[in-house]
Amino acid sequence: MTPALDIRNVSRRFGGLLAVDDVSFSVAQGGLSALIGPNGAGKTTLFNCVTNLFPPTAGSVRFFGQPLARLDGHRIAELGLVRTFQTARVFPGMTVLENALCGAQMHVRTSPLAQMFRTPGARSEERRLRDKAEALLDLIGLTPFSDAAATDLPMGAQKNLEVVRALMSRPRMLLLDEPAAGLNDSETADLAALLTAIRDVGITIMVVEHNMSLVMGIADQVIVLDAGKCVAIGAPAAIQSDPKVINAYVGSDG
Amino acid sequence: MSSFIQILIGGLLQGGVFAAVALGFSLVYRVTGVINLSQGAFCVLGAMAMYYFEVAFHWPTALAAVLSVLSVAAFGVAVGAATFVPAVARLPVSSTLVLTAGLLTFFEGVALIVWGNQPYALPPFSGQAPVAVGPLRIPTQGLWLAGGIAAMIAALWLLVNRTALGRALQACADNAMAARLMGIDTRRMMLLSFTLAAAIGATSGLLVAPITSLQFDSGGFFTTSGFIAVAIGGMGSFAGSIVGGLVLGIAEQFAAYYVSSLFANTLALLLLMFMLLWRPQGLFASGPVRRLDVRADSLVHRALVRLSGRRALAVGVTLLIVLVAIPQLPLPNDVLSSLTISLILFIAVLGLDVLMGWTGQVSLGQAGFMAVGGYAAAILSTTYEWPPLAGVLAAMAISVVCALALSMVTGRLRGHYLALATLTFGLLIDSLTVGLVDLTGGPSGLVGIPSFAVGAFEFDTTERMFYLALGLSAVLVLLLEGGMRSQFGRALQAVRSDQLAAAALGVNVGWIKVSALCISAALASLAGSLYAFNFHFLSPEMVATPRSFEMIAMLVLGGEGTLLGGLFGALVLTLLPTLVQSLALYKTATTGALLVATFLFMPEGLFGRFAIWLSRLGGAGRTRSSGAAIETTAQ
Ligand SMILES: Nc1ncnc2c1ncn2[C@@H]1O[C@H](COP(=O)(O)OP(=O)(O)OP(=O)(O)O)[C@@H](O)[C@H]1O
Ligand SMILES: [Mg+2]
Repeated sequence: MTPALDIRNVSRRFGGLLAVDDVSFSVAQGGLSALIGPNGAGKTTLFNCVTNLFPPTAGSVRFFGQPLARLDGHRIAELGLVRTFQTARVFPGMTVLENALCGAQMHVRTSPLAQMFRTPGARSEERRLRDKAEALLDLIGLTPFSDAAATDLPMGAQKNLEVVRALMSRPRMLLLDEPAAGLNDSETADLAALLTAIRDVGITIMVVEHNMSLVMGIADQVIVLDAGKCVAIGAPAAIQSDPKVINAYVGSDG
Repeated sequence: MSSFIQILIGGLLQGGVFAAVALGFSLVYRVTGVINLSQGAFCVLGAMAMYYFEVAFHWPTALAAVLSVLSVAAFGVAVGAATFVPAVARLPVSSTLVLTAGLLTFFEGVALIVWGNQPYALPPFSGQAPVAVGPLRIPTQGLWLAGGIAAMIAALWLLVNRTALGRALQACADNAMAARLMGIDTRRMMLLSFTLAAAIGATSGLLVAPITSLQFDSGGFFTTSGFIAVAIGGMGSFAGSIVGGLVLGIAEQFAAYYVSSLFANTLALLLLMFMLLWRPQGLFASGPVRRLDVRADSLVHRALVRLSGRRALAVGVTLLIVLVAIPQLPLPNDVLSSLTISLILFIAVLGLDVLMGWTGQVSLGQAGFMAVGGYAAAILSTTYEWPPLAGVLAAMAISVVCALALSMVTGRLRGHYLALATLTFGLLIDSLTVGLVDLTGGPSGLVGIPSFAVGAFEFDTTERMFYLALGLSAVLVLLLEGGMRSQFGRALQAVRSDQLAAAALGVNVGWIKVSALCISAALASLAGSLYAFNFHFLSPEMVATPRSFEMIAMLVLGGEGTLLGGLFGALVLTLLPTLVQSLALYKTATTGALLVATFLFMPEGLFGRFAIWLSRLGGAGRTRSSGAAIETTAQ
């Protein structure tokens, strides 16, 4: 079976700094992979390479077999590869519910004109999307705030909202950049349950995360980056005892 | 041959003034990252001060000149400290740009109050007799001008490169954060750059005033020319400003001589459009490009202005009932006709709201589309005797085609350049409406435009035009309200607030911007056509660039992103001068001042304020948190 995401020899240079250095790995369809590594290891940069925000300076990325080189951001999203950002980027000036609805832009079938004229088709579509957004917000506990300004939410809740927004776009694969940052323990447990549920409905996930118990609990594959290089790939249990991984973390602490 | 050299000299002199204005632009841009559109007005203020000191008070020329520059600089300090510097600190760059357009309007208004609307010429510094160099005759004032501007450029160069103050200015330009760490007061540096630019403007204004007569609104001309110069040379580059100014001056003089003086400006603008397409960074790319994104992320937050569906309906219906009843009241006819004008302008402002308020794309050329719509419909229905309705629809189609063409230029541009491309478009249309005399009637306008008619029904009274404009705006508000409250409107807003995140969700950002521009062009076109049919007459200045600035003021005053807000802005700015005739003289200054003050003190606008107040009034209807949220975001 073609892997959902296939990263081959990807490098990204910023001036003199090789932020991602010849990284190769793949994520199986339906898998839940975790990308870990100390601060500045290049995890976010790798996401940026995959989504062509900062295109790789070398190497190639394939998504379900399709090369992503030179595709615009929205074309990549249309293929079903949707990401969230490390610092939550909810849309200011919009409510929580409107933010969630924004995720469904790709799947709007009625034309702007039909929406202006409020045709029955447009209204039923709007109702359907609204129901779906409300259901997802409910799942993650944001219903009480659905009419609040999204930027008024605490950071953790904004990150959750970003996950909901991404889900509204019915992705084939989600790239989540530190979704648990700013969440307390019980909220993190809820997030873990949500992520496994998302995986169980068939959406492939790759997640950058610093919270080890979360990663080890839910991931089926762990990729460790250190100073731009991929130092280990494997099942959580194997990674935990890998001396190179321990070294990467201890080295960066000391 | 000698006429060639004569033209060249004329071009160099004119180019010198453009270069001076361009230098002012570059100086402020380097330190603050904002283009100060009010720059050209300082020329007029300088000449005006000179007029009083020299001609009215009979003071010696040298003393009068020094005092003029100092007083304009003092005025610059006051205005800069009160408006420009706070705006740079707390508004998105694009809002600050629009705010400086407000300052330009304000300065022009001040000059109108002081000077009235006739042109003024100052006496030359040293007599009327020109100096003869071989077969050439050079007016002595030309030498003063060339020498004065050269001296000014040298002084500026010394200041920036040879003094501690200059190094501090440079540091702010290179990296504001690092400059702050080094203990440089960046706000003072911003104010200093603004003031210096004011002094530069005043100096070049009083030098050129004996050659070219000036009037209250010449500032707009200097701003445009200086801006074209700076865009050709490279924004923020001092050498580029000088080269750009000279190139532009020479090109305009030759175009005026060999083609037509009516088209001199057109050619300059085409040159600029070409530059924007070919090399948007200008001939001399300058240092690191700063703050160019549509709206700076950290500054984009704004009040969440949402009326619940029921409240919005109640407000809309109340408003409609009041407006429907108005013609039945015993009102003077000029009140009804200015209400009609407000409603017509409101239609164009609605379009601007879709583009600027909802999609975050600053347009300084909305009147250009009004002109296209007005002239196309008027020409089709007079010269070609089309039925007015067909003319209006065809004009809308033409405007949309223009919008598509414009977006081929703007599609590759961001931030400032985008706003400035729309300004260029507006100015290009201005110069065409003046220049294409056979088609448009030129400066004296197009007469004999029939009344608007649908079939046999003619809208030939003020009352009928009023109801037509009211009906159309009501339908448009209803349609746009539907569009903005559904996925299309959310896509626009997503593009406004975060293009990157929008694209990551599959929103085709380019397509969204083009659609917003087309909608806005179509509505402006409709308004322009109605405007022409309403007056049975259309002249270039009725739909020229100052009108674009006025419509921006209407939108901002009423409230961006509120749809209905524009109506209140249009009513205030159109009806007040009619109701209080003595105010008419102060209209321009007030328009500018209101735009600036709204940005600084009430960014959500009149209707936005009202909506927030209304939501708070019955906050119990919704969850508590939403009321609180509205309150906190409003701050
Ligand atoms: N746009 C950029 N320009 C220059 N350098 C960059 C850029 N983006 C990232 N870097 C550098 O690349 C390196 C990797 O950064 P990256 O953000 O990918 O790390 P990360 O693994 O996501 O770290 P964290 O855990 O802190 O999020 C860092 O040294 C960073 O400074
Ligand atoms: Mg990161």
